[in-house]
Amino acid sequence: MRVTLSLMVASLKMYYRNRQAIFFSLFIPLLIMVIFGLLDFDRFSGAEVGIVDRAGNEASAAVIERLTDREDELLEVEVGSFDEETARLEEGRIDALIVIPLEFGEEDVTSVVQATSDERSPQRAALAITLVVQAMSEAASGRYGPPPDETRAGGFSLEQSTLRGDDRSYTAFLVPGIVAMSIMQLGIFGVVFALLQFRQQGVLRRLKAAPVNPAQFLFAQVSTRLSVSVLQTLVILLAGIILFDLAVGDGNLATWALVLVLAVFGGVLFVTMGLAISGFARTEEVAAPVTNLISMPMMFLSGVFFPLDALPGVLTAVTQFLPLTYLADAMRAVVTDGAGVTDIWGELAGLGAWTAVVFAAATRLFRWE
Amino acid sequence: MMDATPGASDNARQESSRPVIVATDLRKRYDDIQAVDGVSFEVYPGEVFGMLGPNGAGKTTTVEMLEGMRDPDSGSALIDGIDVTREPMRVKKVIGVQLQANAFFDRLTLSELLKLFGTLYGHKVSPQELLDRVDLSDRGKAQFNTLSGGQKQRFSIAAALVNEPVVMFLDEPSTGLDPQARRNMWDLIKGLQADGTTVVLTTHYMEEAEELCDRVAIVDSGRIVALDTPLALVDGLLETGFRNERPQREATLEDVFISITGRALRDE
Repeated sequence: MRVTLSLMVASLKMYYRNRQAIFFSLFIPLLIMVIFGLLDFDRFSGAEVGIVDRAGNEASAAVIERLTDREDELLEVEVGSFDEETARLEEGRIDALIVIPLEFGEEDVTSVVQATSDERSPQRAALAITLVVQAMSEAASGRYGPPPDETRAGGFSLEQSTLRGDDRSYTAFLVPGIVAMSIMQLGIFGVVFALLQFRQQGVLRRLKAAPVNPAQFLFAQVSTRLSVSVLQTLVILLAGIILFDLAVGDGNLATWALVLVLAVFGGVLFVTMGLAISGFARTEEVAAPVTNLISMPMMFLSGVFFPLDALPGVLTAVTQFLPLTYLADAMRAVVTDGAGVTDIWGELAGLGAWTAVVFAAATRLFRWE
Repeated sequence: MMDATPGASDNARQESSRPVIVATDLRKRYDDIQAVDGVSFEVYPGEVFGMLGPNGAGKTTTVEMLEGMRDPDSGSALIDGIDVTREPMRVKKVIGVQLQANAFFDRLTLSELLKLFGTLYGHKVSPQELLDRVDLSDRGKAQFNTLSGGQKQRFSIAAALVNEPVVMFLDEPSTGLDPQARRNMWDLIKGLQADGTTVVLTTHYMEEAEELCDRVAIVDSGRIVALDTPLALVDGLLETGFRNERPQREATLEDVFISITGRALRDE
């Protein structure tokens, strides 16, 4: 126990004294995240509004028709029940919810129109509400459509409220993916080259001459990398919160705890993968391409940067089973949707199965000299 | 060929005490090479025992089997009464090992490394005391890879001393050192012997073996072909009528080198 502990302390010192390595392993995922985040794939989409039509009369139909017939595609309109549309707003699928009251359009009544907007997309919500109000005013003032005889629709007032919906933005998709990717990179790259170096220098041989079970040394190395994985996960999520207004689940402790558990699970899997590669590839010349061969496809095919639906169906049939897909999906479910353990058991099982396979490979391939 | 049994020059101490190393018919084969082919010898407490031989003779493999780093195909070895093949961990605890290529972790200071190795052996150590013993008193905060060749070798001896070993294995400790550093290494090894440590030493340098070793085994093609005190081996050769053709002088070129450049270490 004391031996394992002092090997861990030594491994930590060795790792954290290499400031350059720390800087780059933290900085590169952040850089990638910022670049993709700044591309802002959301910017060009128009506003989406949900309308609950309680009036169901000519006036409300005229308003809805006016809105749906827009040709500039600034606004996408969904009509549904109050419960449906509220759920959509909470899930972040629409930017604003408009409730047209029962008495809307009736003469001599000032009806109260409720508008609830998502705090996360204030500009698009404001755009949606402005366009709705404009349509309503036009309908009320009779400038729209054929005025039905002399009657004129009554006035209305607007009652506004806000609500914080789930984050469906691209950055909310991207950040958990980056977290998963960096856990993979750190695990594989951090272990493969460090161990090759230890082996080439003869450090492992020297340890073998001491009364140490070599597994203790490996354990120390692995736990060091896991601590870095956890640190890196926290740094990337904090950067996401600061730069992209990311919401980590419901922000409660359970979500954060689950995020860290996932970081450790993923860390174990990819560190073990690194050990297997370092056993298979005897020299750095071989290790570099092999490491890339394994990590590159996962980086691009595991839904780190874009949803897997963007890939051809034949490809997703395979890529949905990649280790990084399981980690990225689980991380995203927890961070974006605030999923609990029971929601991600499938991904956890996938990670567990991969870890078992990779561990078996590592124990066969790993060598000390 | 000379006889491989100990000669008459064995002193009384060796005959009276129990050997600290007993190697019996050790054999090791790598693929199609019989690296060690039936090696047997004994080493007595307090001896400096040399293993000489050309490259690939099987010295290192033999030593590694004694150190518990390699399992012999057959044969046995006892170190301080402990069977190496059965209890390698117990053997590792009582021996000190300096390997041919010495490597220690980057980014740890010498003091930290010594403490770490102390813990690995379950010994609480004073890094400064160990560094003092190997002439590295003021390098406690340095890192291993910043040391000169001689300093590295001396440090690896310090690291091998953390458990106050009964037997110290030194694999070519002076290879690649300049004459000053080599003499310093010799003094260090004599110091180990004076402290009562048994030393097993492999070397290519005959003058080193003559200077340090109480007995030497000459190894070739995986077998011990001669084993005796250096003096007895030389006498044995002279008895066969051998005469060195080179004129013998009272001093060597190395003596000239040392008298001009001094004995002081050039490491620092």
